[in-house]
Amino acid sequence: MAGENTLHAKVLTPEGEVFDGDVEQLSTRTAVGEIGILANHVPVLARLRPTELRLHMPGGEIQRWAQAEGWLQVFANSATVLVGEAIPPDRLDQAALRERVDDAERRLGESEEGSGAYGQAERDRDRAEAFLRVAGATDA
Amino acid sequence: MATRKEVKNRISSVKNVQKITRAMEMVAAARLRRAEQRIADLRPYAQALRKMTRQVAEAAGVEARNLPVLQEHEGGDRVGILLVTGDRGLAGGFNSQIIRAGIEQQRIEQAEGRNVEFSVVGRRGASSMRFRGEDLRGEFVGFTDRPAFADARDIAEQLIAAYVDEELSRVDLVYNRYVSPLTQYVRRQTLLPIQQAEVFGEGVDELAQQEEVDSELAEAHRRALWVYEPDPEELLAELVPEYAQLTVYRSLLESTASEHGSRMTAMRNAADNAKEVIGDLTLEMNRVRQAEITQEILEVVGGAEALS
Repeated sequence: MAGENTLHAKVLTPEGEVFDGDVEQLSTRTAVGEIGILANHVPVLARLRPTELRLHMPGGEIQRWAQAEGWLQVFANSATVLVGEAIPPDRLDQAALRERVDDAERRLGESEEGSGAYGQAERDRDRAEAFLRVAGATDA
Repeated sequence: MATRKEVKNRISSVKNVQKITRAMEMVAAARLRRAEQRIADLRPYAQALRKMTRQVAEAAGVEARNLPVLQEHEGGDRVGILLVTGDRGLAGGFNSQIIRAGIEQQRIEQAEGRNVEFSVVGRRGASSMRFRGEDLRGEFVGFTDRPAFADARDIAEQLIAAYVDEELSRVDLVYNRYVSPLTQYVRRQTLLPIQQAEVFGEGVDELAQQEEVDSELAEAHRRALWVYEPDPEELLAELVPEYAQLTVYRSLLESTASEHGSRMTAMRNAADNAKEVIGDLTLEMNRVRQAEITQEILEVVGGAEALS
């Protein structure tokens, strides 16, 4: 079990476990907005949007990832993050991401609003843009 | 009869082939181990997701199951088939049996008055299908050695969009199911509409057993006042399509493991066959050498007789 001011956090992707340990705070973004989870948070089940996932370690260090869409469950001082991708910022390829944004914009122009194809293009664009922001944040 | 030099050359070329196939077998074995590991790595994620889905489904109530990806399209006449092959060949029947199963399924669908649109994963499958004059709806290549979840997500999203927009009335998946390095078989599975039983874990006993392990915690879990962001209904609408992504991802991983397993077996057979051929050729070479010696002796004896 985690200590008084920490909670247990687990980050899983379909490609394997990314993190498992105690943290002081977990920051991410849900469908409703930014969210920070501290110790003893009330139970939450939320849809996550692409953003920067930050884990604040007890020593003050912060671990970061670019996360794709996913899910967050907080219960009994333990947080589980399920995301499609969790990529360390230094492994993001900015040029490839820009290409993805352009490709998604092109598909948005070609498809009808409200269709399945439109929704897919929108998600692709939002994800690539969020990853670009994460990549930019570490360059600064 | 071949000369001794000719036979010698053939032996050395077969030995080279044997070296190459042995090396390929070893490479495939190493990659197979990695592919098996990746299938195991998916399990915790899939289990956690299934648990969350059950919780959300309970909170949302049964009527929320009216989602577009769960709806059957009655009377639709266009079926999508996703064929999962590899980017490379030299793997026994790995690629060809998928193509054969796809063509067979197309024949059945056509007999029942439905058209088939193929999407293909892997360069081998894509080029065979194009060679047969099929128009491909989607072509996904360049990652079958090591498929990422993002690859599966792209494929699934494209098929879901086509299904929701009613361009396709059903989507099937044909891939090599991995059992062991020696056993893989072709499996056909319905991807869309998503099967409700699969999503909501109906008939999955393993989940019920897990929960009983810590009933106190499970009770607290049920009683807790949960904050849902957004509403359970909206959450469920986003959760369910994820199952199609996971199904595609799993099939890609199994296909990769099958490909390496199949290549390993094919290369081992080739190496064994080379060994046999080398044995035959060595025998042949000895026979040729013996014939040459006999010939020389006959000549010497014949010469000596002529002189006496």
